[in-house]
Amino acid sequence: MDLLCLEMDTIIRARPDPNILCDDRVLQSLLNIEERFIPQCSYFKCVQKDIQPFMRRMVATWMLEVCEEQKCEEEVFPLAMNYLDRFLAVEPTKRCNLQLLGAVCMFLASKLKETRPLTAEKLCIYTDNSIRPQELLDWELVVLGKLKWNLAAVTPNDFIEHIVRKLPLPEGKLVLIRKHVQTFIALCATEFNFAMYPPSMIATGSVGAAICGLQLDSGNQSLWGDSLTDLLAKITNTEVDLLKECQEQIERVLVSSLREGRQQQQQQEQQQQVQHGPSSKTVDEPDQASTPTDVRNINIYRE
Amino acid sequence: MCRTRKTMVSRKRLLSPLEKCSARRMLFGPVDPEQLQKEYQDALSRDLELACHRWGFDFRSEEPLAGGDFQWERVPDTNVPLPYRPCLVGLGGAQGVGGLADMSVQVGLSQCGKESPPCTPEKYTAKLQDVETTPDKENGLKRKQTDLTDFYQAKKRVVDTPRKSGQ
Repeated sequence: MDLLCLEMDTIIRARPDPNILCDDRVLQSLLNIEERFIPQCSYFKCVQKDIQPFMRRMVATWMLEVCEEQKCEEEVFPLAMNYLDRFLAVEPTKRCNLQLLGAVCMFLASKLKETRPLTAEKLCIYTDNSIRPQELLDWELVVLGKLKWNLAAVTPNDFIEHIVRKLPLPEGKLVLIRKHVQTFIALCATEFNFAMYPPSMIATGSVGAAICGLQLDSGNQSLWGDSLTDLLAKITNTEVDLLKECQEQIERVLVSSLREGRQQQQQQEQQQQVQHGPSSKTVDEPDQASTPTDVRNINIYRE
Repeated sequence: MCRTRKTMVSRKRLLSPLEKCSARRMLFGPVDPEQLQKEYQDALSRDLELACHRWGFDFRSEEPLAGGDFQWERVPDTNVPLPYRPCLVGLGGAQGVGGLADMSVQVGLSQCGKESPPCTPEKYTAKLQDVETTPDKENGLKRKQTDLTDFYQAKKRVVDTPRKSGQ
């Protein structure tokens, strides 16, 4: 008898479990243990000699791109950045090994979180073959040792559902809100400033920034300004002032990230213009460039 | 149309102002494989050094170090579960290392550290008795299927009672 496998090439996910998401004990436990996974020092000042903050940003951007291209689960990137920061907080590292470290961290995070993890070969290709799979596997052991094999770190993503379900949000907007929150969390992970913030604060600030940015026109007063911040602060036991500061910082990072993106686009267009001469296409570009930052204009859905 | 173009601004652009092309790239120049290998070996031996210091045990020579926080004691390797027994590939498997014995650790009360604090034997046996009674209560019938608690027992018995697992 022939056996026929009808398993499709789709990833099967568990449904959100209300026993986990609707239980305050889970949220409380997450809040209790999250501090354990925060890197212990500002490592550019006290540990690293060769690595500069802009290099962390480079490797983070690369890691995010790889995760996006490989359609990794949302938490893989923030988790990998957590490993990277925790490693760098204890181990002086040379810049030429930083991309290898980034690859190892993605490798580990992906194995922990995904049903079909990234392969060592694939990751090596993404480094343009500057490292070999065996080296990736070797260094995996070194990284694991420095992390004390403590891989199940708390990430901001762990808090999203716990926060969102306690807010009076319009049902139809939930998917969009989640998507924006995840984007803000990823954005925070690329910025070193946020590396030593508690994950719950990043999550709360991201939810706040997403709701403000989307300007949800619900009549609900509790979703406006200070009352929203108060409500959010209460959910994760964060101090209101710290939360406000965090949210503002997230918004600033978003603005500068968008600005840099636009500048880069303009530069490329100018280069194109030099190469191909002015075309009708470039005429209306300045209009777009001058568009004020508005999250609602950004489609952050993944294709 | 203008609207669609605006909404097409993807997250990739939003978050990656540094690069726009494919993610495949070398960031900080080529890596010297020999140098990397050397650094890897150094990192491993440093880790081993730290572990030896932390546990007061020389993992290379398999001998306790003097003046450590722990008191190491030999136990026959037949007393530990299979995965913990030393196996030397290519040297006749487990038989080849029959002479070797594992070390078990005994810690004085004063030294119960933060990291995986080892329990005192008294505590262990006290707990064990509670656990052991559970399957008996439920297994009044002649049921051969294993319970989860069976595995708890086997695991916890390792240090104190020299009963072999699987026998």
